[in-house]
Amino acid sequence: MKASKKEKENKIKARSKKADDKQKTILEMLKSHGAKIYDDLDNGQFPKFSIPSRSVSNIVYDKKLRQYILGNNAALRSSRNSAQLRSFTQLMWLAFFANRLTNERKSSTLRDVYYSSQAFAVEFEDQSESDNIIVDLEAVTSRAREDFHIFPEERSSIFGDLNIEYTIPGYEGKTMNLANHPDGYSIGPSLTTAELVDTSAEIVIAIEKGGLFTRFVEEQVDKKFKSIIINTGGQAPRSTRTLLKRLHDEMKLPVICLTDGDVYGEHIAMVIKSGSANAAHLRELTVPDAKWVGVWATDIEKYKLPTIPMTESDIKRCYDLQKDPRYQDGIWKKELDVFLKLKRKAELEAFSKYGLTNITDKYLPQKLELAKSL
Amino acid sequence: MSAIKEKFNQISPSEFFYSNRDLAGFSNPTRSLYTAVREFVENALDACDQKGILPDVHLTIKAVDPDKPDPKPYILTVKDNGPGIDAEHIPLAFGTVLYGSKFGLKQARGMFGLGATMAILYGQITTNKPVIVKSSSDGKIQNQFEILLDIQKNKPVIVKHTTKEVAKTGLTVSICLEGDYSKAGNKIRDYVYETSLITPYASITFDDPKEQKFAHPRFVKEIPPPPTIIRPHPHGIDVERIRRMIVESQFEIPTIDDTMIEKVRKDLGLSVKKLSFTSIMDKAKKKWKNLPRQVRVVIALMSFLKMDFEKLNKIQIEDIDMPNKKLFYWDFGDSQSKSVDMDPQSEYYKQLTNTVQGEPLTTFLTKRFQRIGPTTAVKFAEFAKFKPEKRMGTLTNQELVNLSDALQKFEDFMAPDSSCLAPLGAEPLEKGIKKFFNPDFVAVVQRPASAYSGFPFIIEMGIAYGGDIKSGGPHVYRYANRIPLLYDEGSDVVLKVVNDTDWGRYKVKGEPPFIIVSHICSTRIPYKTAGKENVADRQEIERELRLALQFLSRKLSSFMSKRGQAEMAKKRANLYAKYIPMIAEFCTELSGKKKEPNYKKMLQTEIASENKKALTEENEIESK
Repeated sequence: MKASKKEKENKIKARSKKADDKQKTILEMLKSHGAKIYDDLDNGQFPKFSIPSRSVSNIVYDKKLRQYILGNNAALRSSRNSAQLRSFTQLMWLAFFANRLTNERKSSTLRDVYYSSQAFAVEFEDQSESDNIIVDLEAVTSRAREDFHIFPEERSSIFGDLNIEYTIPGYEGKTMNLANHPDGYSIGPSLTTAELVDTSAEIVIAIEKGGLFTRFVEEQVDKKFKSIIINTGGQAPRSTRTLLKRLHDEMKLPVICLTDGDVYGEHIAMVIKSGSANAAHLRELTVPDAKWVGVWATDIEKYKLPTIPMTESDIKRCYDLQKDPRYQDGIWKKELDVFLKLKRKAELEAFSKYGLTNITDKYLPQKLELAKSL
Repeated sequence: MSAIKEKFNQISPSEFFYSNRDLAGFSNPTRSLYTAVREFVENALDACDQKGILPDVHLTIKAVDPDKPDPKPYILTVKDNGPGIDAEHIPLAFGTVLYGSKFGLKQARGMFGLGATMAILYGQITTNKPVIVKSSSDGKIQNQFEILLDIQKNKPVIVKHTTKEVAKTGLTVSICLEGDYSKAGNKIRDYVYETSLITPYASITFDDPKEQKFAHPRFVKEIPPPPTIIRPHPHGIDVERIRRMIVESQFEIPTIDDTMIEKVRKDLGLSVKKLSFTSIMDKAKKKWKNLPRQVRVVIALMSFLKMDFEKLNKIQIEDIDMPNKKLFYWDFGDSQSKSVDMDPQSEYYKQLTNTVQGEPLTTFLTKRFQRIGPTTAVKFAEFAKFKPEKRMGTLTNQELVNLSDALQKFEDFMAPDSSCLAPLGAEPLEKGIKKFFNPDFVAVVQRPASAYSGFPFIIEMGIAYGGDIKSGGPHVYRYANRIPLLYDEGSDVVLKVVNDTDWGRYKVKGEPPFIIVSHICSTRIPYKTAGKENVADRQEIERELRLALQFLSRKLSSFMSKRGQAEMAKKRANLYAKYIPMIAEFCTELSGKKKEPNYKKMLQTEIASENKKALTEENEIESK
């Protein structure tokens, strides 16, 4: 008993050391960037640095990594160039601000960053300008903004038998079982940085919509299918994608995606699997083994789902994705082609035509079975 | 079915204009007041231009009853220091429609002096008051007329005529008309203002009904060279015009009566002496060169009749049959018709042919048109499939049409003579723009003369930036033959060319303080409407406008880039001063240092260097 208590303490220590180490690495890196700028100025020179180019021509698909990455093109940002001086200063400020956040282990949202800048007389035209500078910082440091304690607004959530242990200040060592609250837990900074302790689940089901998430909890999909349910709330936020990756890598859980039966749903699954071009400067955000199990275009006929016609923009999106290297083979290509042929789409809720629990009773089991062979 | 009798009445030009007055810009009290101002001011300026007088024009508009609401009667007076009009011409000039002195082919503001009569007509219709004309053409006596127009008869009715002594020539016209100054005021003030920009050699004052005075003094002392009157260009002509020219070139067979015989005697220097037929012919041969045409024709006839003056007195010419070479006459003595044969080899035969059948085609071309030499005339005849010696008087209707078509199509005529044009000149235009706008940059250009459909034209253009110019440009000031065009600018060719320009290419961005002055000079401006406010997009004119604008835009662009460099240098200096200290502050904390980096000296050097650059560029602009 005593030993196990001690063991537990050691574990906590080890975990908190791990968090400390990570923080230290980040702080060291920021410091070294800062020192370079400082030295330039101290030597009477305009400071400059190089930044990987994020232009379309420099975004390439890496087949090995199974995700988009940035090519070798880099741009020089110089404070001597008056056109770049403003954004140079903004980025300097952001690094300075991220340094404070990381140091104090405080989190902030994208919107916070936009407003915080005003205290330092750093002007951002609007939030999209500050968001863009945040991406610059990610590109320069090859680190996700979450590493600097900057988070988007949360809208995704998680439910299921998973024990976690917080690492954020004030909650260190505190544990939580994520099946305790039927509305699910929102995936924010504390969850993203928490240690994943253990789980009885054997699979992670990422589902596109909040409504279906609630139904799955009600129908005890977590228990019936030994699963962790995650509501991506549409396109999965980065923190959710990080968590998905960790569940896959650390807890060795397979990940399946269940989306609406349309081209956007298919792509939500693809982004979870292999990331987006927008985040080509970052790694560690993808679950290359994730599987999309539905709703497929072929399911529409197979399950006789009620459909609605595709819009012009749906169709255009199909044609766009046909050019994407990730849609050149397998189920991705096949389903895309069928969508284009049908020119109709079906939502997850379409199964309600056959009763509210039809999707959990009939569809899901079949798909889970199928997933094994995918 | 009962026969319906239609009644055709001839109407006088006055009546025609009375019922179509909106064609000429007299559609409502606002427009009419503005049009009347224009017509009188333009007539005054044209009159001065013609005589090379530096114009002093005074415009006054006064309400008859200031307390009445608009529209109401106004008295419009325009006074000039021009040559005036002779007393005998005044009633006709101001009391009939279509009486004017501007029928020659040269550039002038108005075409026929039509508009002024229209204004008078409009005034009379709306207020029933006569026009008051005060004119002195000799600088001593001034004639003052009060004239009403008899619309149906198109005839002046003189109400009053007095004279008085004056010291200067000049014309003052005063009419009473219904107008709306509260609505037209802006346009009229703009008109006076813009007119003085394109007429820098004129002094123009305007006393408005609200007792405001606007004075635009003369700031150029030289009057631009006046245009010359020239013959038409073959491309600018139609069948009707050719018909009239042929009539002009033909000569009537003179009636041989006592007066004519007396004239022939006198011109031959045969005062009293009786002379035989042969000695008359001898005398005529010697004096031939100095004889007027009429006399030559009489001599030619006499040569075939073989008669002296006494015999000639007793006959009357009946017909000259050129194809059959016979001359018919009535002999009073014998009371019968007789004929003589004409010898086609005779010199006199040719003289008669010219008279009866008109000039040969080639002579007609070289004499009646501008810039056609004998070689071109012959080449043209071949092109048009006419014999070069074809007599103009013998052309059938169809041949006339063929000739007119050929004149249009023949491409070897020289370009129209531009001496009939009176551009303002680049220098006065630049002076005007500088005085009006005090700009940071100005450039002007006068394009070489060009032509459309046989009408010569010249484009003058100016461009100015900064200074007193309001932002939101380009503002375009459009002129045609020194008249500002204020209405209907949307569909104008100048606007089209300006709007087609991508100003970003010339480094002009945002809402620049920037104006363009465009002046089209031509013997005929291709207006789109009778209101004379917008110019149609003739391809040749559009091309010249484009070339002028491109030339000026390139100059503006180089100014802008110099100015841009100066501004950029200044901006850089400001940006460095603002942001570098911030970077220093942030990186100090980020790198964990206590003391800020040593950057202040570097910053100051850079700022000083940028400011110096800005100053150098600005000086360069200044010196240009």
